[in-house]
Amino acid sequence: MNPRRSVHAALVSAAVAVAALLSGGRCARATAVTVQVKSGTGAPAVDAVVLFEPRDRTPPPAHADAIIDQIHKRFSPHVTVIRTGTSVTFPNSDRIRHQVYSFSPAKVFSMKLYAGSPKKAVVFDKPGLVVLGCNIHDTMLAFVLVVNTPYFAKVPASGSASFDLPPGRYSMRVWDEALGTPVPARPVVVAAAPLQLSIALDLAGAHDPVAAWP
Amino acid sequence: MLLRTRIAVTFFLLVAAVLAAALAVVSAANRHNAQREVGRQLDVGARVFLRALETNREQLTQAAQAVAADYAFKEAVALRDTDTLASALQNAGARLGAAVEVLTTLHGRVLAASGTNIKPGMPFPLARLLRPGGMQDGNSAILVADGRIYQLVAVQVRSPLPVAWVVMGFALDTKAARELAAPTALALTLSVRSGSVWTTPITTLPRGAARSGEMVTRSITLVKRPQLEVVATLSRSLTDALAPFERLTRVLFLIAGASLVGSAFAAFWLARNITRPLRQLTDAVDHIRGGAYDVPVSVHRRDELGVLAEGLQVMQRAVSTRDQAIRRLAYDDPLTGLMNRTAFVEALTTALAAAPAGPVAVALINLHRFRRINEHLGFAVGDAVLVTIAARLTAPPAAGAAVARLNADQFALFTRLPPGADTTAWGLALQSRLAEPAVVHAQPLDVHATIGLAAAPADAAAAEDLMRCADLALEYARREKRALASYLPTLTPPARDQLSLLGELRRALDADELRLYFQPKWEIASRRVAAAEVLLRWQHPARGLLGPGVFLPFAEQTGFIRQITRWTLDQAAAQGARWQNAGTPLPLAINVTVDDLADASFHLSVARALERHGLDPALLTLEVTESGFIDDPKQALRMLKALAALGVKLSIDDFGTGYSSLSHLAHMPVDEVKIDRSFVQQFEADPEFAAVVRSTIDMGHRLGLRVVAEGIETESAAVLLGRMHCDLGQGYLLAKPMPLTEFESWLRGRARVAPAVRTGTVVAPTGGRQRANKGFPA
Repeated sequence: MNPRRSVHAALVSAAVAVAALLSGGRCARATAVTVQVKSGTGAPAVDAVVLFEPRDRTPPPAHADAIIDQIHKRFSPHVTVIRTGTSVTFPNSDRIRHQVYSFSPAKVFSMKLYAGSPKKAVVFDKPGLVVLGCNIHDTMLAFVLVVNTPYFAKVPASGSASFDLPPGRYSMRVWDEALGTPVPARPVVVAAAPLQLSIALDLAGAHDPVAAWP
Repeated sequence: MLLRTRIAVTFFLLVAAVLAAALAVVSAANRHNAQREVGRQLDVGARVFLRALETNREQLTQAAQAVAADYAFKEAVALRDTDTLASALQNAGARLGAAVEVLTTLHGRVLAASGTNIKPGMPFPLARLLRPGGMQDGNSAILVADGRIYQLVAVQVRSPLPVAWVVMGFALDTKAARELAAPTALALTLSVRSGSVWTTPITTLPRGAARSGEMVTRSITLVKRPQLEVVATLSRSLTDALAPFERLTRVLFLIAGASLVGSAFAAFWLARNITRPLRQLTDAVDHIRGGAYDVPVSVHRRDELGVLAEGLQVMQRAVSTRDQAIRRLAYDDPLTGLMNRTAFVEALTTALAAAPAGPVAVALINLHRFRRINEHLGFAVGDAVLVTIAARLTAPPAAGAAVARLNADQFALFTRLPPGADTTAWGLALQSRLAEPAVVHAQPLDVHATIGLAAAPADAAAAEDLMRCADLALEYARREKRALASYLPTLTPPARDQLSLLGELRRALDADELRLYFQPKWEIASRRVAAAEVLLRWQHPARGLLGPGVFLPFAEQTGFIRQITRWTLDQAAAQGARWQNAGTPLPLAINVTVDDLADASFHLSVARALERHGLDPALLTLEVTESGFIDDPKQALRMLKALAALGVKLSIDDFGTGYSSLSHLAHMPVDEVKIDRSFVQQFEADPEFAAVVRSTIDMGHRLGLRVVAEGIETESAAVLLGRMHCDLGQGYLLAKPMPLTEFESWLRGRARVAPAVRTGTVVAPTGGRQRANKGFPA
């Protein structure tokens, strides 16, 4: 695995931990839920996104910040999951200029060519899948998943995403950029007992990450 | 066929064959090359065509990519701004000259379109443009829509994920086909099969070109599906491809034709060069064959023909030399250097043909006594005599004259006499020239010549005829004991008679046309009849009565005389026997010739005749001429002895004319000698002849022979002969020859000398006088 990617994963984990800390104040009794995500061949579906949406309540919008860097003509991280209302800054770590745009309905924006760190952040105020590109570097691609739940995780190298969820009813959703169609939401009831879930993704067909977003 | 033609034709055909073979090979190679060239062109053309399609694809791809990459365009796509999209597509397509510009969703639904009747919302067969499983840009495909053929390219619009497809395409119409085919120099035909129907193709071929001429094609299948097939066919007219080769072949044909004509001329020239000297050589050979040896061989060359010509010339000289030698042998008499008969006749022919002015006289000269000279003095002397005579005859060399020696003792002469000259005078002059004795080794030798004369054109016109006339004259002179005779027409038995005479003689014997004539021999002293000589006459059915001079010489020449002698012998024996049996026996004499004496069985014939008729041998006398002893004296003597042994009497006829002397007679069993009439007729006037007659009578008596004088015509001669004691006489004075009946009546009442009594034994020869004394009255 790319070491930088693990650094970013750690950052994301930190963000999750912060979120958990924020919510943990009120619900100390959280239940450990692990979700094992595999591809059709049985290999871990690394970077697949797993989220639990509470069915009984709507979580409040968050005002968090996120960073999507541009290093070596790549967006980093490649897949970013944020809560609706999160401000994302796009620093440019390359010595060349980059442009960032999106024609996705959840967030249409375009940044002029720039170098270094822009002053303005982009606020993703609607949930949905945003596909990012660079107008002058066709190969640069990044996904930003804007969600309304604080319970989400990217599948690590081990293949198991771990959650501490307050007991209640949830819809579990899974997304991967290699999917061609959406994976149906699965209803999950979290009780006191730790829960271990498992899901296999069909990643062998035609990829359509936009269509795969619910 | 002439050699010249044969050489020329062979040469010509050879060249023609070589040229034809070369042309055939070149033609075949040309066609092969053209086909291979066309094949190569088609290969290249196919690559060029595919390359052109690829270039189209690249252009389309680049144009489509340019549109798809445009940020504003992407934005328009994101906004689904259909009109903007359509105008942007049209803008990009117009730059390229594209026929189709379409924007579709990833799933092939049309979002925007330009230049066609495709409308947004319609499905687009995008899958046809994409390779299975591939989502790459720039795949090209051939599609058929509304009967038109399009080359299409699809390019993705990414923002940055693929969101749409830009499809751009060219129409493959006639114009496009022409542009595609242009770099290949080939014709391009695009054919479309929809279902099982081939639609009218798009082609760059001129109208009707596909049917005319031979086409070589290469097909490239662009699309092949069950319901659709698109085939591009590149074609090349083989006729067109062959055209440059055809031009080359035409030039070759022209060259071949020219060389053929040239070779024909060369062949004829060469052939003529070879055959002309050959013809000259042939001419030279013709000249040699014709006897013209002085025509030079006019071929001067250094090659084989020259050698042949030289050889021919050498041969010509050799033949000429030999010809002259042969001519000498053929025409000259080696002894005297005179012409021989052949040359003489030729010269005479030439002389006769030369000029008609003046007669040409021919003399045949026969030397008698010559044989005696050879016999008694040797051939050397004889040859010397001949040379002397030849010299005398040629002494004054005369123009238009020639002398020849025809055989041993015969010469011939001809000369051109002045007009009106007398042939006889010329003959007499000749005779006087020969009268001188020939002197050989200081010894004078008398040479008597008999001359026969004839003259052209009086006697005959042709050389051979003239010769025969002279020969007849010579024969006549000899027969008549004359030194000289000219030809008279009466001497000539017609030529046909000459030829048929032998046959007639045979017939005369068979038909009993010969008659016995009797001429009495009488005792001169008493004028009593002592005997008779049997003579022959020919009662010819057409020519009347012929004397012996007409047919006996011919009979002698042909040997037929033997039959005549036997016939006469038999007839005479019969007649003698009749008289003998009638009691009035009369000795009869018949003439016997040389041939008879030469016949070894002649004495047997005589014996049989005597036996058959019962004639007393003593009553038969055989008269033999002196010439009978000349050819073979020994055989003649043998025969005489055999005859004498039979008891017949033997008589020497014509005594004095030949070479026999009385001394010869002493050894012969003869009983009688007859003095030749030439002596008897002249002895009264010429004392020398008288001496010969007298001495002959005396010598004969001394040898015990009876002496008979022939040809007594006058009483005085008879008296004189009686005075000389000549025993018997014969001649017109007493009686001419008579036929039997006349002779018998003449005999009647005549006094006769009694013949010797028949004793049955051989009667010894006795002197005539004694016998005459035993005569008895008739």
